[in-house]
Amino acid sequence: MSHIQFRDLSVSYRRPKSDERFLAIDRISLDIERGSFVAVVGSSGCGKSTLLLAAAGLVSLASGRVVIDAAPVTGPGGHAAMVFQDASLLPWRSVLGNVRFGLEMRRWKRDDLTERALRHIRMVGLGDFADYHPHQLSGGMRQRVNIARALAVDPEVLLMDEPFGALDAQTREVMGNELLRIWERDRKTALFVTHDIEEAVFLADKVVVMGRDPGRIKDVVQVDLPRPRSPDMLDSETFVTIRRRLRESLAEDMASLRLVTEGV
Amino acid sequence: MIAFYRRFEAVLVGTASLIAIAVAWQLAVDNGFIDPFFISTPLAVAREAMTQAADGTLFVNISATLHAFSLALALAAAVGIGLGVLAGWFRDVEAALDPFIWFKYSAPTIAFYPIFIAYLGYGLPTVVTVGFLFALTPIYANTLAGIRNVDRDLARTARAFGARPLDVFVRVALPGSVPLLVAGFRLGVGRALTGVVVAELFGSTAGLGYSITQHAQLMQTAPMMVSIVAIVLIGVALTQALGFVERKTDAWRVDAE
Ligand SMILES: Nc1ncnc2c1ncn2[C@@H]1O[C@H](COP(=O)(O)OP(=O)(O)O)[C@@H](O)[C@H]1O
Ligand SMILES: [Mg+2]
Repeated sequence: MSHIQFRDLSVSYRRPKSDERFLAIDRISLDIERGSFVAVVGSSGCGKSTLLLAAAGLVSLASGRVVIDAAPVTGPGGHAAMVFQDASLLPWRSVLGNVRFGLEMRRWKRDDLTERALRHIRMVGLGDFADYHPHQLSGGMRQRVNIARALAVDPEVLLMDEPFGALDAQTREVMGNELLRIWERDRKTALFVTHDIEEAVFLADKVVVMGRDPGRIKDVVQVDLPRPRSPDMLDSETFVTIRRRLRESLAEDMASLRLVTEGV
Repeated sequence: MIAFYRRFEAVLVGTASLIAIAVAWQLAVDNGFIDPFFISTPLAVAREAMTQAADGTLFVNISATLHAFSLALALAAAVGIGLGVLAGWFRDVEAALDPFIWFKYSAPTIAFYPIFIAYLGYGLPTVVTVGFLFALTPIYANTLAGIRNVDRDLARTARAFGARPLDVFVRVALPGSVPLLVAGFRLGVGRALTGVVVAELFGSTAGLGYSITQHAQLMQTAPMMVSIVAIVLIGVALTQALGFVERKTDAWRVDAE
């Protein structure tokens, strides 16, 4: 059985300043295999974040269900760890304190908290910065802390919502490689939202394309590139073919969006 | 030398301008521009301060005022932070307290001093009550704002890690409110001192404020000026000390962007 199952999942939100609700995602079904890395792409507002929040148990569902490890998700529990685009670090805590924070919220035993946190800080390459505070770090370093905090709690599932979205292209590439290196160690089931097609293909075993109005799945593409991935695969035929297909899927969405805008 | 100047620039320039004013004051009186009957002279004030220091009067006045001030501030901090935290976390508490806060903002507290005197008599209880009421509002309002403005992204992140509401409160909202809380406390310090001195002016039988009224009525300008200068120095010392504490706690927020 798949590790994560989305079954006919709908989530609705209230429109601002009214009682009316609208569907942010509409009857999505998706299976994610244990140990696979799945990327989600789609134009903004198509419900990518909502899909992740549903997996984390942070939104209430209008219909359908999310099942992780054969158990329905009913709220934020111990199963998943979330990495948001905004690193969301506590500014008054050091790097060590921030990585400990996740463990404290998960109520890990006291004695090995620091040891465990430090191990993950070293893993993301910040061994020398454990005593730094967030405002003393670059954006890329903060996102490393964010990832260390998520991995330290040893989650079943790693949910990442555009974790590199605010970084410059170069840092982004470095972070992608780093993430894969770390992920290869124990291959946690990962769901990774990005708006960068190349990043999606490079990282993932499977790329899900979402469309909007209402949020739904338009395409699912298998990425048959061997692991470990390396930058020279970016020019391989497989990579280029997949990239073209994803671009076309996404372009349809953009085209319909343009029509809407021009119609106004 | 230059490095030394840079480091203490504000203090040095401030001291220099104080000395300049004292010299100007003395010269103005010496040259007959101002009647010393109204404001005395720096030398006379200094001489009087020596006398009062020697016979203990100055010390008695200062400690009476500081005693009332500490009680007023401690009460205001306890009540203001306590209520501010509750009102920041529970909207119903804020709604319940709102009318009183608006009342306090709009009506000058000191207008009610006859009532305090009627109930509490001349002396410490009245002085502490007025100082407490003066300091309460800024401490309460800043604490409330600090708790209320909890960073939503941080709260959501905490919840994603399984934090319960109490965890979000203790680990995110409370520490996040510290800079505003300290700012409110700092305002409260100035207000408590003002309240205490004002109440001493006409609701007490001790302290620097009382001494001002006493000597003013007897037209003893120099002793009156000694008490005024003492109040100013206390105020400056407290504000400076708190500014220092505030910069410490605020460092991460100031540097952040
Ligand atoms: N808390 C919310 N309240 C109301 N509307 C929301 C909320 N969160 C998201 N939305 C709306 O739901 C839709 C999907 O949002 P989201 O899942 O964030 O999309 P994406 O991450 O793909 O950009 C958007 O139209 C967005 O404006
Ligand atoms: Mg999003």
